Amino acid sequence: MFASLLLEPKVTMEKSLAELNKTASRSTSSLPPEPVDILRSKSCFRRVRLNVGGLPHEVLWRTLDRLPRTRLGKLRDCNTHESLMEVCDDYNLEENEYFFDRHPGAFTSILNFYRTGKLHMMEEMCALSFSQELDYWGIDEIYLESCCQARYHQKKEQMNEELKREADNLKDREGEEFDNTCCAEKRKKLWDLLEKPSSSVAAKILAIISILFIVLSTIALSLNTLPELQDTDEFGQSTDNPQLAHVEAVCIAWFTMEYLLRFLSSPNKWKFFKGPLNVIDLLAILPYYVTIFLTESNKSVLQFQNVRRVVQIFRIMRILRILKLARHSTGLQSLGFTLRRSYNELGLLILFLAMGIMIFSSLVFFAEKDEEDTKFKSIPASFWWATITMTTVGYGDIYPKTLLGKIVGGLCCIAGVLVIALPIPIIVNNFSEFYKEQKRQEKALKRREALERAKRNGSIVSMNLKEAFARSAELMDVVVEKSDRPHDNHLSPSRWKWTPKRAASETSSNRSFNAQELGSPSKARATSPQRLNVQKLEEMYNQMAKTQSQPNLNAKERGSRVGKHRDEIELGAIQDHGPPVLGTREGVGDMKSLSSIDSYISCATDFQENPRFTHGPAMDLGPQESNRFSHSPASGLSLHGSTKTGQQTSRENEPMLNPVSATKPSYSENARKFFFSGNSSKTLTPKVSYRSEGESGLSPLSDSSVLSDNSLLSPEVSVYTTASSRTPPKSPESTSLAPTVFTFHDSSISKYIDADTDDDEHLRDVSDTSPSERLLTGSSPKRSINTNYQKGINHLEAAQKMLGQNCLFPIEGIRGMAHENHVGPELGRRSKVERGRQNTLDKGL
Amino acid sequence: MWTIPKPNYSSGLCAEGEIVVNIGGVRVVLCGDVLNRYPDSRLAELLKCSTQDHEVISSLCDDFDPGRKEFYFDRDSDAFKCIIDVYYFDEIHIKRGICPICFIKEMEFWKIDPSVLDECCKSYLSEKEEELKEIANKVKIILEDLEVDQCITRAQRCQRFLWRLMEKPGSSLPARFIAIASFLSVLVSAVVMCVGTIPELQVTDAEGKQVEHPVLEAIETACMSWFTAEYLLRLASSPNKLHFALSIMNIIDFMAIIPFYVVLSLTYLGTTSMMELANVQQAVQALRIMRIARIFKLARHSSGLQTLTYALKRSLKELGLLLMYMGVGIFVFSALAYTMEQSHPETLFRSIPQSFWWAIITMTTVGYGDIYPKTTLGKCNAAVSFLCGVIAIALPIHPIINNFVVFYNKQKVLETAAKHEVELMELKAGGGARRKSRN
Repeated sequence: MFASLLLEPKVTMEKSLAELNKTASRSTSSLPPEPVDILRSKSCFRRVRLNVGGLPHEVLWRTLDRLPRTRLGKLRDCNTHESLMEVCDDYNLEENEYFFDRHPGAFTSILNFYRTGKLHMMEEMCALSFSQELDYWGIDEIYLESCCQARYHQKKEQMNEELKREADNLKDREGEEFDNTCCAEKRKKLWDLLEKPSSSVAAKILAIISILFIVLSTIALSLNTLPELQDTDEFGQSTDNPQLAHVEAVCIAWFTMEYLLRFLSSPNKWKFFKGPLNVIDLLAILPYYVTIFLTESNKSVLQFQNVRRVVQIFRIMRILRILKLARHSTGLQSLGFTLRRSYNELGLLILFLAMGIMIFSSLVFFAEKDEEDTKFKSIPASFWWATITMTTVGYGDIYPKTLLGKIVGGLCCIAGVLVIALPIPIIVNNFSEFYKEQKRQEKALKRREALERAKRNGSIVSMNLKEAFARSAELMDVVVEKSDRPHDNHLSPSRWKWTPKRAASETSSNRSFNAQELGSPSKARATSPQRLNVQKLEEMYNQMAKTQSQPNLNAKERGSRVGKHRDEIELGAIQDHGPPVLGTREGVGDMKSLSSIDSYISCATDFQENPRFTHGPAMDLGPQESNRFSHSPASGLSLHGSTKTGQQTSRENEPMLNPVSATKPSYSENARKFFFSGNSSKTLTPKVSYRSEGESGLSPLSDSSVLSDNSLLSPEVSVYTTASSRTPPKSPESTSLAPTVFTFHDSSISKYIDADTDDDEHLRDVSDTSPSERLLTGSSPKRSINTNYQKGINHLEAAQKMLGQNCLFPIEGIRGMAHENHVGPELGRRSKVERGRQNTLDKGL
Repeated sequence: MWTIPKPNYSSGLCAEGEIVVNIGGVRVVLCGDVLNRYPDSRLAELLKCSTQDHEVISSLCDDFDPGRKEFYFDRDSDAFKCIIDVYYFDEIHIKRGICPICFIKEMEFWKIDPSVLDECCKSYLSEKEEELKEIANKVKIILEDLEVDQCITRAQRCQRFLWRLMEKPGSSLPARFIAIASFLSVLVSAVVMCVGTIPELQVTDAEGKQVEHPVLEAIETACMSWFTAEYLLRLASSPNKLHFALSIMNIIDFMAIIPFYVVLSLTYLGTTSMMELANVQQAVQALRIMRIARIFKLARHSSGLQTLTYALKRSLKELGLLLMYMGVGIFVFSALAYTMEQSHPETLFRSIPQSFWWAIITMTTVGYGDIYPKTTLGKCNAAVSFLCGVIAIALPIHPIINNFVVFYNKQKVLETAAKHEVELMELKAGGGARRKSRN
């Protein structure tokens, strides 16, 4: 039985490979070219063509050797296909051309660094993206020439500051968790009502009432001091008007209630207490109570002057309530923030003024000293005059009378105007910048809230997530249905490359910011707010996915599982029998070249949907890593859930694990690969979770971006896996079930962290050991074929997935369900396009 | 992808042959007679030399493909696209985005005179160069600080130590203490100077004259001795005495100290009756004003004040403009006010020079109210003069403010830039072995 099972896919494989062979196009080199070929090609040309994002460059190898430890410098040392693919995204030995899927604009300046030894920065380049490019090409930003350095660091600092602020903002928002204590729901509602005027109509009305009370109480406070409205108490002192006192009492009662409610509903009491706006609130309330306390308790001693004075002081403090308006006005808040931020410039202003006052007052003192009944009696006395003159207020209570004094006065006026005007533009600049930022953030907040609300309703999957979701639905369908039609393997080569490519660009565009932030391992630790955000979103999605999983679909899957299971066992079996497929080797090579051609086409088609985003292995690391951090618990959960559904489910996972777990031995022996093998093993768990989720049958409904991301990654991962794993997979190693998966996962984390924290000295050392081994493994035909074949299988798998989606989605319309209206049309369109393309390809075949 | 405009006269055929060049991957076919317009340039030299002479060719270009007769240059193609313009249009414009310093280096490589750079791009270049120069200055200062034990003799080392102690507050903790002490003493002496003039705090001496309180005088003396010691130490430790004595900061220091000693010597002379007492008193009074100079000593401790002086120095022209506007306004409006107020019997404008004061006070919007117009016409004139004053001040003040802001921002950036420059130099000094990639 096993043998018969084994036969079928092999036949299809060979058939498809043969078909491919027929359509072999321009490239005649075999898929991973022999190191000898690469060496020969390198020795043939003195120059090398570098194609970066479509722009061709030509450069001498000698030039690249000037910086041997950068990415381009390493290109020279790479002699095997795998190592080359690590360094560049694609290459063509005949044309002597290496392709990098990076931004072409920055590369010009980077290549010039090799040529001239001077690193300059393109003017219009964003500093952040330039620093990423530098990271990708392996150049330290310290080499930047001083003429560009200043601009670069200024921008970067600015950016960092902004990011920090945004992170703080986000932290504030995330701090509002109401899960720990009682009446969380009610408290949250109350909090929203009191703190977020834009959240509902009631909250808005409440805010307006609050403003009215503030205005009313300040008016009452001012009217109180009118002599006509004042009463006299028993000591003959004037006291408050009783009507106004009532108004005051009502206002204070409102304020107190407001404060207490806020305090009660606040998620973090201490933070609430510390908040500047709440301190102002407290200061607005407290004086009233202190006054009452003092007057009531010490009625007898009130005639004493000092108690009265204390009371008076507290009465004055009531005016602080006008600051309560700051809560309702962003303008006031940004003024406060501006003053806090530009204390340096304010200090400068005061220093300027103080010096001017000193100088001019002493000058005018010496000029006016001898005048009859002069008002400039001493230098401190003329301070007042100097202040009033420099600020051009000019009361006229004191003014110079002598000619000398008048000259000094005139100079003082002009100097005052100058000195005050100088630092103010800097403060103004700070203010306007902050104000703009504040406005922007308010808008962003609103947008985010709307988005979240919509997501909670489940009505939309917005922006990039829509794409991701569509993709995840496709792939899930594929997994489920693939087993039903194992013979339909029209191997359209375009898909092979296309799937991983697109997956990569998908994920990167999905979180382009994330990828940027985490692009370099060194930066990966920085907590970027976007990342937090994504994490949050995904957790939400996960929960949704869990609740929406429909067990009744399970039955259907179980039926189809048998075929799939068989299928995958066969894959493993074929790998064990490497030699029989020796003849197909050339065909595999053709696949590769064909796919590389088509990858361009697919890239082009991608651009319709995704904003273009350059990606490389290093860049992909970012999202993947965040994947790991954010999803591993979630995926663990889902896996757990799936193990509950039955032993079979978890057994399902093991064949799939084969290629991945096979990286383990190669991992240790070929540490150079840790980047990619780290990747693959790392995404192992997500993959498992994805499969098990698919098993538990929530395919189109589970629109979690976790799933989508992971499933998207999986084809790519498989490519990397095959690139790095050279030993044939041993299924016994992975026969143990979920626990194995987890331990492996853990180890991969620690490995990864090692790789992350290692400085490049270590990397260098490790990599130095590898070439000989690489050569060794590369020279053994069997092994290379093995990898080839494995790759082919992986491609095949990807193609199968795509095919399954293409053919099956329209049929499986039932699955569209609630989300059909969002995903369906898009999917349908794409699948149509794909089918069209496939048809043409089939014709070609 | 990139075609050269064909020269009109050659009608498609080049008299002196063509050469094919490949600049960093971009192939260009160039006409010989076009290139010969600048015979000193690299391309023209390339044209001259025969294709057989490999020595010369390899000295001129990076690679030569005899089959295709293609010369390869390992240079930036973007910059070349701009530089090739010189052969056609006799001028070069820097493409937006290319760093001008980098561009100049490219021009040097192609052996083209930088003077062909067009005016519009030259200002851009000079701006950058100026910035570079400033950074270089800063770097020099930092490097000077760094080289500590370069001096051989003990005296020199001592001097260097003292210099760092007095002049570089950031170099060590004692140096910072000294800086703070000096700052405080400036403040204290300024306060003492002001407080000393309050009549209530003054005492009458034996001759019935008001003199300063003895406590204040003691403080003053202490501060003065501190200033003197500071100045002398600085002078002693400075590597270049003349340069030290002539720098603005030290002139201010000197001005702050010298009145005290002059007064001391004068009173000594007065008491020993070598000079007339009244003269001495007058001189002492005059010298008291000089004490104000000590306030400027604060500038040493505040980079903001230094920025202010720099900005004012840079915008002397605008300051002159401001004064000129004000002067014209004052003349015009005081004359107008004087003539218009003549009709009023109790006019406050008695003469034109007297109404100058009014004009200044009105135009700067101070308005004491000691002199004010009383007739209707005079009031109209006052309103107009006020408006003109606002405009006359606002217009020239803007460039001054701009200078200040730009310089203030630059100052902040330069600090970091200089630091990075030093790091870069260290890195480069470390050699290529230490060049490392961080990937």
